Amino acid sequence: MSREITDKVDGLIRQIGTAADKVIPILQAIQNEFNYLPEEALRYVCEKTDITQSSIHGIATFYSQFRLKPVGKHIIKVCVGTACHVKGAGLVYDAFRRTLNLTDGDNTDEEMLFTLEKVACLGCCTLAPVVQIDDVTFGHVGIEQTPDILLEFLNKKTTGDFAKFSTPKLNVESQGEIRIGLGSCCVASGSEAVKNELEKTLAQSNINVTVKHVGCVGICNQVPILEIHKPGEQPSFYTKIKPQEVRDVIKQHFKPRGSLDQIKTGVFNFFDSLVTENLPRSFNRYDLDQTHTPVFEFLDGQMSIATEFRGELKPSDIAEYKIKEGFEALRKCLQEYSPNEIIAIIKQSGLRGRGGAGFPSATKWQLVHEAKSEIKYVICNGDEGDPGAFMDRMLLESYPYRILEGLIIAAFAVGATEGIFYIRAEYPLAVKRINEALAICRHEGLLGQNILGSSFSFNVTVFEGAGAFVCGEETALIASMEGKRGLPTMRPPYPAEKGLWGKPTLINNVETLSLVSWIIRHGAEAFQKIGTENSKGTKVFALAGKVNRGGLIEVPMGITIRTIVEQIGGGIPNGKKFKAIQIGGPSGGCIPASLADIPIDYSSFKESGGMMGSGGLIVLDETDCMVDIAKYFLSFTQNQSCGRCTFCRIGTTRMLELLTKISDGKGTIEDLTLLEELGEKTKLGSMCGLGKSAPNPVLSTIRYFRDEYLAHIDGSCPTGKCKNLIKYSITDDCIGCTMCAQRCPSEAIEAKPYELHWVDNEKCIKCDICKQICPTHAVITT
Amino acid sequence: MVQLTIDNIHIQAEEGTTVMEAARSVGIEIPSMCYLKGHGNHPSCMVCLVKNMKSGQITTSCALPVADGMEVSTTEQEVLEARKDALELLMSDHVGDCEAPCSIGCPANMNIPLMNRLIAAKKFDESLKVVKETIALPHILGYICPAPCEKACRRTQVDQAVSICLLKRFVAVESNWFAIPTIKNSKKVAIIGSGPSGLAAAYYLLKYGYPCVLFDKNEKAGGTLRYSIPDEELPKEVIDSEVEIIRQMGAEFRFNVTITKEAFESDIRNRFDAIIIATGDVMLENQLMDLFKTTKTGIEIEDGTMATSEPGIFACGSVLRTQKMAVRAVAQGKAAAESAHLFLQNKPLIKPSRKFNSRFDKLLRDEFPEYLKESVLNSRFTPNDGYLAGFSTDEAVKEAMRCMHCDCRKIDNCKLRQYSDQYKVDRKKYLIGERKFMTKHFNHEMLVYEPEKCIKCGLCIDITLLEKELVGLTFVGRGFDVRMDASLGATLFEALSHTAKKCVEACPTGALAMKGA
Repeated sequence: MSREITDKVDGLIRQIGTAADKVIPILQAIQNEFNYLPEEALRYVCEKTDITQSSIHGIATFYSQFRLKPVGKHIIKVCVGTACHVKGAGLVYDAFRRTLNLTDGDNTDEEMLFTLEKVACLGCCTLAPVVQIDDVTFGHVGIEQTPDILLEFLNKKTTGDFAKFSTPKLNVESQGEIRIGLGSCCVASGSEAVKNELEKTLAQSNINVTVKHVGCVGICNQVPILEIHKPGEQPSFYTKIKPQEVRDVIKQHFKPRGSLDQIKTGVFNFFDSLVTENLPRSFNRYDLDQTHTPVFEFLDGQMSIATEFRGELKPSDIAEYKIKEGFEALRKCLQEYSPNEIIAIIKQSGLRGRGGAGFPSATKWQLVHEAKSEIKYVICNGDEGDPGAFMDRMLLESYPYRILEGLIIAAFAVGATEGIFYIRAEYPLAVKRINEALAICRHEGLLGQNILGSSFSFNVTVFEGAGAFVCGEETALIASMEGKRGLPTMRPPYPAEKGLWGKPTLINNVETLSLVSWIIRHGAEAFQKIGTENSKGTKVFALAGKVNRGGLIEVPMGITIRTIVEQIGGGIPNGKKFKAIQIGGPSGGCIPASLADIPIDYSSFKESGGMMGSGGLIVLDETDCMVDIAKYFLSFTQNQSCGRCTFCRIGTTRMLELLTKISDGKGTIEDLTLLEELGEKTKLGSMCGLGKSAPNPVLSTIRYFRDEYLAHIDGSCPTGKCKNLIKYSITDDCIGCTMCAQRCPSEAIEAKPYELHWVDNEKCIKCDICKQICPTHAVITT
Repeated sequence: MVQLTIDNIHIQAEEGTTVMEAARSVGIEIPSMCYLKGHGNHPSCMVCLVKNMKSGQITTSCALPVADGMEVSTTEQEVLEARKDALELLMSDHVGDCEAPCSIGCPANMNIPLMNRLIAAKKFDESLKVVKETIALPHILGYICPAPCEKACRRTQVDQAVSICLLKRFVAVESNWFAIPTIKNSKKVAIIGSGPSGLAAAYYLLKYGYPCVLFDKNEKAGGTLRYSIPDEELPKEVIDSEVEIIRQMGAEFRFNVTITKEAFESDIRNRFDAIIIATGDVMLENQLMDLFKTTKTGIEIEDGTMATSEPGIFACGSVLRTQKMAVRAVAQGKAAAESAHLFLQNKPLIKPSRKFNSRFDKLLRDEFPEYLKESVLNSRFTPNDGYLAGFSTDEAVKEAMRCMHCDCRKIDNCKLRQYSDQYKVDRKKYLIGERKFMTKHFNHEMLVYEPEKCIKCGLCIDITLLEKELVGLTFVGRGFDVRMDASLGATLFEALSHTAKKCVEACPTGALAMKGA
C-alpha cells in the first residue's frame, strides 16, 4: 500500500473519526483529496475504522457523488436540468462526447484532460443550455461551439484570465452602496467578473462606495444585476451587465474623491470612452419607481416571506439580520411562548410542508413533541434534487440565519436536543454559508447552552449529502445519515416516533423552516390570510423554460399559473404559443395551458394530475414534445431509484422502455395501454414517494396530450424533437456556403460550393449542428 | 395485545408483530420472498401486498406492524392483481431457465440434464431411474425417437446438441434397473393393446402394484414398434428385451386375442377394475370405438387425464389420433396409468399440467463461455462402432459431460417459480427492452452464483452482516443496475467463509445455489 495514501487517510480519519457511521464524510474527504476513491484507500479505511468492506463498497457505489475511477484534470459538467433539457442540453452533451472522442461507457478522454459528466441542475436555468468546466460557466452553449469552448477554456486557464473570488474591502465613509448578487446562479452568469471589474474600477478611481455582496436576487433572467443605492436617491438597477460596462455605470453615479483623482479619472475615462462609446450596450438601466420594466413586473405580484429582504441582506451578516428583526421570533418563542403555544400558532397558520407532499407541519411537530425521549432530533432537509429546481439552495445561500432561526424554534417546540442540516455536497456555497452562520450563532449564544438566557440548549451540525435524489425521502435521508445506503424503509414507524438512531425526529424542508420566523413575528393570522382554503402562505418556485423572465419567485398561494407565466414571467419568448407547465419536477406532472387559470394550491394541482412538488416550474411552448418531456423526467427517476422495491426498480425501467419505444416510433396502441397500466401499478405498489410519484409526468402527459402519443405511434413527432422520428433536409434557400458540410461530424453532407446541399440521412446522426449554423435557415427537419 | 381483523377473522396479536406473522398465526398464507424473520424492515419483492381496508392503501405486510382496529384483506382482487404484477415485473428481469429447454421440448418432459449429469458421474442406475420416471421404454426410444429435445438443446448454438437420445439408449443398456413394485394391489387392470402406449401404461401400473393383463391381437408384444418399423432401425431384440422387463415386473400377456365389442362388455368390464384402451391406429377396423364418444380422429378423452366417456376406462396412443412420435404415445401411457391409479383409489382425477417455467430466448455469443463453464469444449461424439451399436461407456460419459446444465438448481424450491405458477404469471408481459447478459460465477467451492436470477432481496447480504463475515456481500450500484457481489472485488469464497449454506437456503430464487444439485 502506498505511503502517500495511508498517510493521507490516517490524517482524514483522525479528523473525522472511526465510527461506522462516519463512512460518508470519510469518503467525501478521500475524494476531495484524490479526486476519486482509490480502492487501496477504501481497504485501508476498513483496517483502521469500524467501517466494514461491504458497507464502504455499498455506499461508494450508491451515491452519485462518488467516483471509483480517476478523472481527468478538468471536469466538464453539462447541465441536464429541465430548462437546459428543453433547450437542447442532450445534444450538447452528445457534441462534447464527439469532440472528446469518448467511446461508450467512457467519460474521460484519452489524455485524461477532461471528464464529462451530466449534472442535474447548475441553477442557471436562464442561461440554458449551460456547461461548467471546473469553476467556469458557459451559458447558451451552441452544439457547434464545443471544440471552441474547450480551446477557450484551455487558453484562458493558462493565461489566468478567469478571475478568482476575492474578498472585498469594506469602507466606512461610503458615498453609497452598490449591491451585487453572488448566489450560485448569479456567479454562474458572470457576476463574479462584474464584481471584480467593479472593485478594480473603484480602486483605480478611488471612489468610496460600499460593495455589498447580497444573496440571490431572484431575478435570474436579468443577472448580473448591479443595484446602486445612494443616500437620498431612488435606487437604480442595471440588468444583464457585462464587465466592460461597469466603468460607465460607476461614472454616471459617483465622482471620485479629490480633484486630482477626478481629473485623472476623467481623462482616463475620456480616452476610454473613445474606444467604448460606440459599442452596443447589453445592459439596461431601470429605476425602482419605474413601472413596466422587467424588474418591476417581475417583482409585482410576488410576496416575500421566505425571501424577505431579498437582495438587501448580506447572507453572513448577523448584525444586519438582527436589525431586520432577525431572531426576534426566537426571542419571543423562548421568552413568551410555551412549546404548545408555538405549535398552536403553527397549526393556526395552516403551514404545510414545502418539500412536496404538503403534510401539515403542526401535526408533525405535535407528534415529535408528544414522543417521549431524552434525545430528539430536528433535521433540516436540504437534499434538493429536482433537476429543475434550486429554491432550497438559494434560501440556504441567501438566508442562512432565517432557516436556522426556524430550526431552533422548531427544536424548542418539539423538545429536540440536536439539529442537523442535511445539505447536498453539490451545494458547496450553501454548506459554507450555513457553517459560517452556525459558528457565529454559537459565538453569539444563539446556539449551545441556555440559548438567549433561557433553559433551552440546542446544538446544530451540518451533514453533507452525497447525491441521491431518493434521500429527499425522510427515511432514506435518515439511513444515509446513519452511514448506510440511502434506502427508504417502510412507514410506520414514522420518524416522529423512531427516526435518526431510533429517536423521535422532526424533518422539515428548508423552505418550511424559512417561513417559521415570519409566522411567529406577524402572527398566525397574517400568514393564514394569504392563500387559499387549504393552502396557506407563499410558495417559492424556480421559474424557467420557455418564459421571458425566469428566476426564483415567491408568490402567494392561490395565484394562477397564468399570472405567473404571463405577468411575472413576461410570457413566452419568440412569439411562440404557451403549451403547458411542468410542475413538481420528476414527481409532478404537466398542466396544459387550457388549465392555466387554476390556482397554485395543493389540492387543485393534485386533481389536475400534477403535484406541488418542491417548486420546479418549467414553462413549455408549442415546440416542446410532451413525449420527450415525459421521457426526460422518467429517465431521471428511473436513474435515481434506489433499486429496493420491485415496482420502482423494474416498473420505472419497463415504463421507460415503453416510452422509448413510442418516442422511437416503434410503439403500438397496446404499448400505450400497457404504459398507462404499468404507471398506475407503479404508483400503487411502490414503497416510497419516489416510486409512487415517478409515473406522474407520464400519466399526466398521456391524460392531456394523448394525441401526441398517438402521433408518435403513427410514426411522427409533431414538434420534431424525437430524434428517431425526424429527417434533416435542405431547402432551396441554400446558398451553397458549405458551412454545414464543414461542420457535419458524420460526413452526411458533402461540400459543394455554390450548389444546393443535400443531407444523407443514412449517415446523419441528428446532432442538429447544420440546422443551427445555416445562415439562411435552409436546413429543416420533417 | 392488539386486536385486528385479517380477511374478517378476528386476531389478537402481540404488539410489534407484523401483519404477515399475524396472518400466518391463523393459517392465512401471504406469499413472500424477501422476508426472513429477524432481518429488518426493508420490503423489496412486493409480493406480500395486502390491502388496508380503512385507508384503502395497498401495502406490504412483511414490515407492517399490527395496530388496534386494523382491517386487512389478503384476498381482494386488487391485491391479487398487484401481487401478480410484482411477479411479472420480477420475471421480466429474471434471466434463466427453470427446466432446461430440452426437458420442456420433450413430450414426456424427461429430466434430461439430470440424466446427463448422472451419466457423467457414472451413476448409471440412478440415471436410468431418472429416465424411467417419465419414459418407460428408453431402450426402444433410444433408437427411434426423433429427439425434439436435441432441437431445443442450447448446446446447438455453441456447436451441436448433446446426443441425448443415444445417451438415453446407452443408460438403458448399461443399467438394468427398473422399478420394483413395493406393494401388492388387489385391483386389476386390463390393457388392450401392447404397443408403446400400452407397454408404458403397464410399466407405471405395475410399479404401483396393480396386476396387469395386456391383450394383443398379434403373437408378440410391441404393436407398431414391432410390425411397422424395419429391423435396421429398431432391432427386434431391443423390443424383446424391454417387453421382458415389463413381464418380469409381473405383467400377463394374452396374445392373438382380438377383443370384440361383446367380449369387452361381457368379460373384460366385469373382470377388471380399470381398463386402458391402447389398441393403436384407429384407421384399422376397431369395434371398440362404438362404445365411446369419439372425435374425427379417434376416441374422445378428457385432455390430460386420458379419461374416456366411460368411467374407469382410459385411452392413450394412436387410438386417440395417429401418433407420429412414439415418445408421445409413451407419455400418454404414463398419463393413463396415473389416472387409472387415482381412479382405483377413488380419488378425483388430476389434469397434470406443466409447472411454470422461466425461459429466455437464445444465448448470446458472448454468453457461450459462461455456459461452457459447466461443460467441456468437445464437439458432439458419434459412436465409434456406428449408430446402431451406440455409445461405449467412455463415449457416453464424455458426451454427457457436454451438457451445459441449463436447468436451474433450485427447480423445486424456488419461490419465484412457485408463486409465478400459483399466480399464473405471464412471463412475457413486461419483456420489452433487451434482457440482461447471463453470467455464472463459480468462485466458491460450494455454491454457484447466477446474478441474473437475483431479485435483489438482500437477504444474503443481511446474513453476512449479521454473521459477521469479514469480507461479506454488498449491493453494488443503485436502481435497476444494482447487483449483489462480494465487497471490494473479493471472491465469493472470501466473502462467504462460513455463511454459504445459510445464504443459499435464504435465497428465494436460483441466484445462489449449492453446486452439487
